[in-house]
Amino acid sequence: MKIIAQIWTVMVMNIRSLPQRLWMSLAAVLAVAVVIFVLLAFLAMANGFNQTLSGTGSEDIAIVTRDGSQSELNSVISRDGVNIISTAEGIAKDKNGNPIYSAELYVVVDGIKRTTGTEVNIPLRGISSSGVSLRDQVTIIEGRMFESGKNELMIGSSALREFSGFELGREVTFGKTKWKVVGVFSTGGSVFESEVWADARTVQTQFRRGSSFQTMRMRLANTGDITALEKLIEADPRLNFNVETEAKYYAEQGNALSGIVIFGWAVSIVMGAGALAGALNTMFTSVSARTTEIATLRAIGFSNTSAFMGTLFESVVLSLIGGIAGTTLAFAALDGLSASTLSAGFTQVVFTFELSPDLFATGIKLALAIGFIGGFFPAWRAARMPVVKAFG
Amino acid sequence: MGDLYLVFKNLTRKKMRLALTLFATFIAFMIFGTISAFQSALDSGVELSADDRLITVNKINFTQPLPIAYYNRVRTVDGIVEVTHLNWFGGYYQDPKNFLPMMAVNENTFLKVYNELVLTDEEEAAWKGNRQGLIVGENAARQYGWKKGDRIPINSNIFSQKDGTTSWDFTIEAVYTGEQEQTDTSGLYFHYKYFNETQSFGGNYIGWMGVRTADPARNGEVIKAIDDMFVNSPFETETVPEKAFNQAFLAQIGNLGLILSSVIFAAFFIILVIVGNSMILAIRERTSEIAVLKTIGFKSGRIFAMVLSESIFLALMGGGLGLLASFGLIELFNGSGVAQLPTLVLKPHIIMQSLMFMLLLGGITGIFPAITAQRLNIISALSRH
Repeated sequence: MKIIAQIWTVMVMNIRSLPQRLWMSLAAVLAVAVVIFVLLAFLAMANGFNQTLSGTGSEDIAIVTRDGSQSELNSVISRDGVNIISTAEGIAKDKNGNPIYSAELYVVVDGIKRTTGTEVNIPLRGISSSGVSLRDQVTIIEGRMFESGKNELMIGSSALREFSGFELGREVTFGKTKWKVVGVFSTGGSVFESEVWADARTVQTQFRRGSSFQTMRMRLANTGDITALEKLIEADPRLNFNVETEAKYYAEQGNALSGIVIFGWAVSIVMGAGALAGALNTMFTSVSARTTEIATLRAIGFSNTSAFMGTLFESVVLSLIGGIAGTTLAFAALDGLSASTLSAGFTQVVFTFELSPDLFATGIKLALAIGFIGGFFPAWRAARMPVVKAFG
Repeated sequence: MGDLYLVFKNLTRKKMRLALTLFATFIAFMIFGTISAFQSALDSGVELSADDRLITVNKINFTQPLPIAYYNRVRTVDGIVEVTHLNWFGGYYQDPKNFLPMMAVNENTFLKVYNELVLTDEEEAAWKGNRQGLIVGENAARQYGWKKGDRIPINSNIFSQKDGTTSWDFTIEAVYTGEQEQTDTSGLYFHYKYFNETQSFGGNYIGWMGVRTADPARNGEVIKAIDDMFVNSPFETETVPEKAFNQAFLAQIGNLGLILSSVIFAAFFIILVIVGNSMILAIRERTSEIAVLKTIGFKSGRIFAMVLSESIFLALMGGGLGLLASFGLIELFNGSGVAQLPTLVLKPHIIMQSLMFMLLLGGITGIFPAITAQRLNIISALSRH
């Protein structure tokens, strides 16, 4: 018990004497805070993007695209293809016994990104009322739903926030055709909110797509079960299609920013090494400033373990303060920040930075690691300091 | 020379602190050098775009098609040297992950508009003469181990052949190089006719046109002439200088410049704090020594210069080593062939910038301790002991 009391005493002494080394200690804290902030900025960006995409797909919905097309934009499904697939077992039926599905088009149109004023790719989805009902949580925030057969558009609230050109009531020209924005919709933060929607048949006509579609979505009779659809596609050589659940489809795209995560970690670890140099500097200085104090304690019977633990503790506390400052700052400045990037579908996806509790923990852990290593070697020196030399 | 010796002795008296401070500076300049090289590679697409080249796309969006008939109509516009047309093929090699920036082009005019691609006259003739001929950039060739004469199948994630397959056969007629070190050589180009006659969709559409004007000063006039020609048609066009087009495309990915600059800024901030503090500390520890120097006749100005040169020395040493390390990292990255980026180069302006930052860092971290040392009052400094 005596050793614990000794360690406690030294810890308290070290922390109390921190103001004497205020600027040096502050430098170490600040360096750690900046490293943690940078790391969390990258991780929060990738996390927000991933959350948006993985939050989009449903296990109850299957999506059919042309085999090998990799994105909705590149896919084509003929009217015949749609008709054959709609007969598959495993698709849920409505109360009249008809399969619940939606054949859709996906074309790219120009919008203007508000922050840069440059043209960006906005997805215009040709959809029908059955398609709307296949998305959870679709609500019309302003205006109304487009009417079928008319050149009317409605825009997702995320797209409206990030891009101009599609404000409610505005007339938009695509080639020779004029369209009117009649509504704003929300889908609870999913990818669909980054899209512009219009009537599928009208899009077919105005974009000269004949009777073809690009993708097909259907409600599954059993959650996640696409085996019947797979069997149908496999059995018929005319059907050169790929089927997967919507959840899987979007989850795959959610990893598109994994490169950013690697880059963020690489940069943060290298910078962390720089901050570590600062921490070591601070702690070696702290030990040498306390030379007499440490020697005195040793002379009156304190163990070298207490000198070791005291120094280590001081370093860890400083880094922890830095870590907390960095995470707090990151949360205040970045959480909820709206951004957009070009997704796998070659169109803009709007997302917000998201600092999850996991990321907080990651930031604090890195700070503690810097504090521990930065304190260990100076603590070692403190513990090994010969009493006689210190008084000399 | 005596002063320099003193500066050196002062720097090296605490080896551990010197090592740590040097290391921190080293890290900051390694980050600066490496990230600046990345940034310049990203910007090279914009920087190297030709001033006399325009891009004509569908006004709705550049992914929307244009009729092939537009090509001959645009060729008649006054002030144009040559026009070519391109279609994005959505190509990939063996696995969809190996996507290729591959275009079907007009083989007769393509190399006249994009003359930064370098190949011999014989290679050019061979490519034009072979309907299934393909020219491949050296970057792409290196990535997949292709060489001239290889026959390779390439798949499309957009198009299929009339028989339903998505695979096309090509013969590599040339591996082209770039006119400049950072010219993008990851692209693959083949005959539009081969594409148009074998693919199963509508056909007779092109993706966009590349237009070379007689003089960049006439760009405005040519842009207006082209776009006016197709106004009120179902396929209205939008013609922009290539530089603007590339800039807008980069901006679609996100504000990469801001992200990279912020990282550099953060790294410098950390180092400023650490090195600055350690300099202040070093001078404070030497208070009585400086007082002694003054007592034996060192002028204040001389003391000021000594302290400042100490911090500048430190910054130049650490920074120089860091820059050297970033050079090594860049070479390593260039050799690895991981990313489809132009060659990373530590350009002279990056080296000049880092030298400037080293001097700045040395100056800022040294100036306050130097002033303190200069103003030091001998009597009060010595009486502290």
